[in-house]
Amino acid sequence: MAAKVDHAQFRLVIPSQTRYLNLVTGLAKRASLVAGLDDATAAKVSIAVDEAVTNVILHAYRGEGEHSVELELRFTEQALEIHIWHTGQGIRSDQLVLPDPKEYIKHPRKGGLGLLLMSRFMDEVQFKADEVSGRNECCLIKKIS
Amino acid sequence: MADLSIAVRHIGDVAVILPAGFINAHTVREFEEALEGQVQQGRYKILLNCKDLNYISSAGLGAIMGLIETVRENDGDILLSNLQENVFAIFDTLGFTQLYRVFPEEDQALAAVAPERKA
Repeated sequence: MAAKVDHAQFRLVIPSQTRYLNLVTGLAKRASLVAGLDDATAAKVSIAVDEAVTNVILHAYRGEGEHSVELELRFTEQALEIHIWHTGQGIRSDQLVLPDPKEYIKHPRKGGLGLLLMSRFMDEVQFKADEVSGRNECCLIKKIS
Repeated sequence: MADLSIAVRHIGDVAVILPAGFINAHTVREFEEALEGQVQQGRYKILLNCKDLNYISSAGLGAIMGLIETVRENDGDILLSNLQENVFAIFDTLGFTQLYRVFPEEDQALAAVAPERKA
């Protein structure tokens, strides 16, 4: 007998190339609607996913297109969870410094906005490293109210 | 269909740029080139009419941010109009609505940046 699961999930693996961003963000938006989120919230989730995957491609993999980015979408009664795994350069939550929007307006500069969007548009953003497998994870959680 | 297409119109000394589709890390270079092309032509009054812009990520916001000092130092500005709800949410969340003038319609933005057109 199959083990009972308390959530539904599926995975997608893409090459580490920005040409696939639109595919992933479209999927994230559709998944948000399936999870019961409204249109405006679904759009915000898709932006957060864009930022997270872009960070992996451009920063963790330094723009190298021959790697893989693995995404898993988990649907629970309480939330939509989007897990993003990669084997590039990782970051940990305690290393992050989010720009202060008020300071940003006083001293505008290019860059640094993606993490801020992720943190504003999602309920939780976590970065984890698995030292055994060598994989790094970014986990985005949007609660379903 | 391409992820992004960009049309440019010149109305007086104002460059009206109409991005259609998605601005993300994949398409941002095309968007940057459109903006930089106007500045290189000496056009420092730039209106971004976003009526057909479905989506802009921080990469696109960075492209705008990268030129704002140059245009303002040359008595110009970058204005925004016709923002869709989700695009407005991105600009507003990051405080860009305090940095840039945002108008509901293109005509209102043109009147603000080139008031002599009203006569």
